[in-house]
Amino acid sequence: MIWERSKCAHLVPSLQCQASQSGGCAYGSQDEIPLSRPKKRKSKGKTPLDGIVQAAVRRQSESSEPLTPEPPGGPPRRKRKKKKAPADSETSFTQQNVASLFQNGNGMDVPEAEETGIRKQRKRSKKPRPAETQASNDLEVGEEDIIDDKDWKSPEQHPVFAAPTGISRPVSKVFVEKDRCFQAIDRAEWIKTTENTNVLMDVEASWTTRDVALSAHRIFRVIGLWSQGFLAGYAVWNIIVIYILAGNQLSMISNLLQQYKTLAYPAQSLLYFLLAISTVSAFDRIDLAKASVALRGFITLDPAALASFLYFAALILSLSQQMTYDRINLYTPPSENGSLWMAGTEEEVVQPWIVVNLVVAILVVTGWICLSYRPELDHSEELMFHAEIEEFPQRDIIPRVQP
Amino acid sequence: MLQTSNYSLVLFLQFLLLFYDLFVNSFSELLRVAPAVQLVLFIIQDITILFNVIIIFLMFFNTFVFQAGLVNLLFHKFKGTILLSAAYLALSIAFHVWMMNLRWRDSSRFVWTEGLQTLFVFQRLAAVLYCYFYKRTAVHLGDPLFYQDSRWLRKEFAHFRG
Repeated sequence: MIWERSKCAHLVPSLQCQASQSGGCAYGSQDEIPLSRPKKRKSKGKTPLDGIVQAAVRRQSESSEPLTPEPPGGPPRRKRKKKKAPADSETSFTQQNVASLFQNGNGMDVPEAEETGIRKQRKRSKKPRPAETQASNDLEVGEEDIIDDKDWKSPEQHPVFAAPTGISRPVSKVFVEKDRCFQAIDRAEWIKTTENTNVLMDVEASWTTRDVALSAHRIFRVIGLWSQGFLAGYAVWNIIVIYILAGNQLSMISNLLQQYKTLAYPAQSLLYFLLAISTVSAFDRIDLAKASVALRGFITLDPAALASFLYFAALILSLSQQMTYDRINLYTPPSENGSLWMAGTEEEVVQPWIVVNLVVAILVVTGWICLSYRPELDHSEELMFHAEIEEFPQRDIIPRVQP
Repeated sequence: MLQTSNYSLVLFLQFLLLFYDLFVNSFSELLRVAPAVQLVLFIIQDITILFNVIIIFLMFFNTFVFQAGLVNLLFHKFKGTILLSAAYLALSIAFHVWMMNLRWRDSSRFVWTEGLQTLFVFQRLAAVLYCYFYKRTAVHLGDPLFYQDSRWLRKEFAHFRG
């Protein structure tokens, strides 16, 4: 928007002058075209393109010198500047630039440039055209659009324009479209606001919700991996303790029950806690929610799928022993009154429980080996965060149309 | 568009509630010194599940997909989470009511029956599945694709209309 306006202002200096005086919103006004009438008849029947082509051909044929504008401050330009004194500085400078641009050796190009600009203006005044046509006219590249850097990029004269975001206009004001009209804003102020916006946008762009989700997912994966390792060690320790307390050939069952009764619930609670985290983490690895992927993983004996199955089986087995854990927790010798345990039945109750604990230990250790063998394996992350990006990259996002 | 800070906060809250749920499921048997303690823990647990369900629905409502009217698409995509959350909440309430009913007079009494054991196993298994699906949905809803118009959404829209 800004560029277009500036470009128009460059093509038709008088327009920019009017816009700046009236505080903007004068785009396309046709009140001030004093030079257009005599040229109108001359150039009738010619398109702007013809004019540009003719101008270019004439310039090539008439002058063999390159386009070297006179150094600023020459006597003719000073005179002109004095004449245009009422206009503000930016306007006079623009005109000065325009004059210096097209004033080459023979000094004949200034009317030519004006003529081209006027012709375009007249075209607009003839009949209203669709926006696209108008825009394409505005975007035509004429020879007068090419500005030599030496003319206006002088840091001594205009140090403001040496700012990195300064674009192309050697004026102190820029025209920004606001509320469907262009408004003059001080360039320095505009640059400041643009830079602030860019910084904010950079910060926002650097850390998106997707990154937050991804980091949360990765953190949980690390916790899960740690939990699986800890669970494997804990299960092995648990079964070793049980077998040691039970003695050779389960000869010391009562000793086991006496010693283990205080440990029973904490052990079961910790086992469930670790098993739950490990199972969720294993499900994450295989992306269980996508049934087809999970099924393919099971069929191809994917380590993550295998581990998921092992952990889930261990969880079911462990939960099925809840009643026995509670019975062990409330153990009192059968000889005591109100005891849950009957004499001679301890082994019948405890032996399956020990076997289940052994199986659980084997399952969790196998599951841990499967997952820790390839700790980077995570189908969930691949499918959830990367598949859709690849399929529908960010550039496909259609921006919302602002009313 | 969902703000990163807001999303981080919501995600943290969701994970906190999930952790509380897992903690009570794991250690509630250890904390049965008095029936009232366990009762409070169970009530808070059920409320956290309910809160989590409310939060996930609020997140659904906040998506561009929902605002565009594609409610079916969201429900279809996350139906596992929605159904499992509802089932888990029902199982939890049932288990808590049953357990507290049996243990209210004496918290250290052996109360286990085959039926209670079965309900316990199903409730705890549902808890693990709920945790997985809920966590996955919460993380998945951080995808900016749900909060803006995209080719994917148009394709899904066309698919649903067709």
